Amino acid sequence: MERTIKFTLNGRLINVEVSPHWTLLKLLREKLRLTGTKEGCGIGECGACTVLMDGIPVNACLVLAPKVEGRKIETIEGLGSRESLHPLQKSFIDHGAIQCGFCTPGILMSSKALLEKNSNPNRKEIKEALSGHLCRCTGYHQIIEAIKKASEV
Amino acid sequence: MIPPFDYKTPNTIQEAIELLWQAEGKARIIAGGTDLAIGLRNGDQSPQSIIDITRIEELRKIEEKNGTISIGAAVTHSEIASSSLVKKHGKVLSDAASGIGSPQIRNLGTIGGNLINASPAADTIPPLMVLQAMGKVVTKGGERQVPLLQLFKGPYKTNLKPHELLAQITFPKLPPDMKTSFLRLARRDAMAIARISVAVVLKIEKRRFEDIKIAVGSITPTPERMSEAEAFLKGKSPDEVSLQKASLKISEAMIRQSGIRPSTSYKKPVVEALFIRAMKKALEE
Repeated sequence: MERTIKFTLNGRLINVEVSPHWTLLKLLREKLRLTGTKEGCGIGECGACTVLMDGIPVNACLVLAPKVEGRKIETIEGLGSRESLHPLQKSFIDHGAIQCGFCTPGILMSSKALLEKNSNPNRKEIKEALSGHLCRCTGYHQIIEAIKKASEV
Repeated sequence: MIPPFDYKTPNTIQEAIELLWQAEGKARIIAGGTDLAIGLRNGDQSPQSIIDITRIEELRKIEEKNGTISIGAAVTHSEIASSSLVKKHGKVLSDAASGIGSPQIRNLGTIGGNLINASPAADTIPPLMVLQAMGKVVTKGGERQVPLLQLFKGPYKTNLKPHELLAQITFPKLPPDMKTSFLRLARRDAMAIARISVAVVLKIEKRRFEDIKIAVGSITPTPERMSEAEAFLKGKSPDEVSLQKASLKISEAMIRQSGIRPSTSYKKPVVEALFIRAMKKALEE
C-alpha cells in the first residue's frame, strides 16, 4: 500500500514514497532524516512536533503522511541556517530562551506563524500562540521576551 | 505504532459515500485526525481503510442561505472561531471553538469530527444544541436531517450507521436581540478537556426571560439541553433569586443522570456557580 506523495518541504518540491499509516512526524524524522522536529508525547498535547502546514501550526504527530499531498510543509530545518540564523533563532539565543532545547523547534515554528500573521503581538497574543506548547525548563518568560524582541527587529 | 490501512482521498461527497458503502463498515472517515490519529496509535481503532474528506470542497465551506448558517463537516475550529458569519449569527459557537485544545489542534480538528467523536466533553455540542442545529447526514441514494439532540446515543456513540456521512451542520441565524455565552471549566485554560461546560442563548423582553435555552457538556453522559431550568426561567425576571433556583435544577439534572460520584460534592456547587456566571455573562452582553 506504499504510495508516492508530492509536497513542498521547506520551499522545495519533493516526491517521496510513504506508507499511508505513517504520520508526518515519522516521515520527516525517519525517512527524510529531518530530526529537528521532535516527538514529545505523540498525542498532540505537548507541541514539540509542531510544523507549519500551508503556513499554520499543526502537530505533525496527528497528521497522517498522505494528507500532506500537495501541501506546503515548513520545519525547523527551513527556518534559518548555521551561517544565517532566523531573527527568532537569534533572539532565542540572546534572551536565554533555550535550555534543553527539546521544545524549541516547535515553539519557533509557532512563533514564525504568529509573526507572519501579526508583526507586533502583545504578551497576551504571544501566550495564546504558545498555548499548545509545553516547556519544562525555562518557564516561558524568556521565550515570550525573545518573541517580543524579535518582533521589534 | 499505527497498523497499516488503505488511505483514500475522495474529491466529492458522492465518491466518499460510495467508498463508505463499499467498505461495509470497515472504513473510518478522517478529517483533522486529532482524535482518530490517537485512536490508531493506541490500537483503539483498526480500520481497513481511511477516507480523508478534507479534499471535498463542499465540506470546507461556511455559508449563509435563507436565514440559515451552514458549516461543512470538515471546517476547522480555527476557521469557525474566526468566521465573521459565525461570530455574527452564532457567537456562542465561535466562542466555544476558540477555546478548544490548542492553536495546533484547532488548526486540524473539525466540527464534524468533534460531533462524530461524540465525547461528553465536546466543546461544540452544547453551543450547537442551544442554536437548535441540525446535521445533514448523507448516504448512498439518500440524505436525512437529524436534529443535533438526536445524534448522540451515549458517550462516544452516535446514531449514524457505518455507511453514513455527516456532511453539514446548519442552524438558524440567531436574531440580533438574542444574548449568548459559553463558559467551560477545565484544569487549565488551554490544552485541557472541559470538566463542565455551559452554553446559553436568551432573550429578555420587558425585563423577563422571553426565550431561554441552556445546554451543558461533560456532566451528563452526552451533552444535553436543561429543559427543567429552561421551563423554570421562562417568563421570570433575570434576578439573583431566579438564577439561584434555576442553578439547582441544573445540578439536580446532573445528579439524576450521572449519579452520585466521588466528585459530586465538589461538582454540585461548581456547576451551579458556572451556570450563574454564564447567565450573567450573557445578560451583560
